[in-house]
Amino acid sequence: MKPKILIPLIVAAAIPVFMAGCATDAHYVQTGGRENIVSVGQINIQDYIQAASAATQELLSSGALDKVEKTPAVLAMSRIVNNTGQQIDTDLLTKKIRVALLQSGKAVTTTTMGLGGTSEDPLAKGMQQENEFMNDQKVTRLPDFSLSGKIIQTRASNGNTHQSTFSFQLSLTDKNGLAVWEGEKEITKQGTRSSIGF
Amino acid sequence: MKTFHLLALCGLCAVAGLTGCTTVNSVENANKEGQRNMVADQRAVTDHSLVKKVAVVGVNTAMTPGGVLRVQVELQNRTRSMQRFNYHFEWFDANGMQVNNVTSALVPDQIEGRENKMISAVAPTPNCKDFRVKFIEAE
Repeated sequence: MKPKILIPLIVAAAIPVFMAGCATDAHYVQTGGRENIVSVGQINIQDYIQAASAATQELLSSGALDKVEKTPAVLAMSRIVNNTGQQIDTDLLTKKIRVALLQSGKAVTTTTMGLGGTSEDPLAKGMQQENEFMNDQKVTRLPDFSLSGKIIQTRASNGNTHQSTFSFQLSLTDKNGLAVWEGEKEITKQGTRSSIGF
Repeated sequence: MKTFHLLALCGLCAVAGLTGCTTVNSVENANKEGQRNMVADQRAVTDHSLVKKVAVVGVNTAMTPGGVLRVQVELQNRTRSMQRFNYHFEWFDANGMQVNNVTSALVPDQIEGRENKMISAVAPTPNCKDFRVKFIEAE
């Protein structure tokens, strides 16, 4: 083969190699799937899903939400204390539980009543107050339960092996101030120093 | 000397073979008070490697006080070493349509050598009538 023909062939073969080098390996993965990144020192999205799933299943199987005068039960969100070493948005846990309970038909969550007189949806609270004023009567249904909890991180290490346990603790309290359901889901993750990015 | 070397080699092999093998001894009441409502199951096996290690013994169901379906699957580790696996429950309504669930998770789990273990899940709504459990070998 003549060199004149060979050179364009080599150049043509090299172009895809260079182009492949420029491409990123970004791709979609299923949320909560087995390709998700596992971090020992952090709560990953799959951990929130697992904790919410466990809490919802325990809550549904306990029958606590069925013991109300009028179904579905009305739930108010209380405080979820973060006792981990990282800044987290507790809605990643509570919203999943709320959505799951709403879909189950067992409970609805109030967005006009919150901790310290605040409301999650101020516009809805205004509409509710206006409705009560116009009808000259109290139409608001008070919550049957409040949901509170705590997320705790416990660390341990042995040589290069590091371990974190995240405890997701939840309590459902009724109007009498009694915790009618309590659940705890613990997720423990372990890894060596090199795999956890210290 | 030759016999000594042979014995030493056998000893090393035995130690190597036993490493990582921890099986489970258990005891339970012989006369059971509770009766499991076992259901006929239909299995699709594509990972023969996994099914040789972690096998499904049986499936039973019950209803929660609120009328939600609860499913329990009994698994058995057929090997002498601990096995890791992932499982995932899917739920279907009376029309056979899959019910989407925000808390549907791939759950990582492990089972000790020769252990029998239960995994269970509660349906996301009272409308769920059928289920499917998927098992994936952990990497």
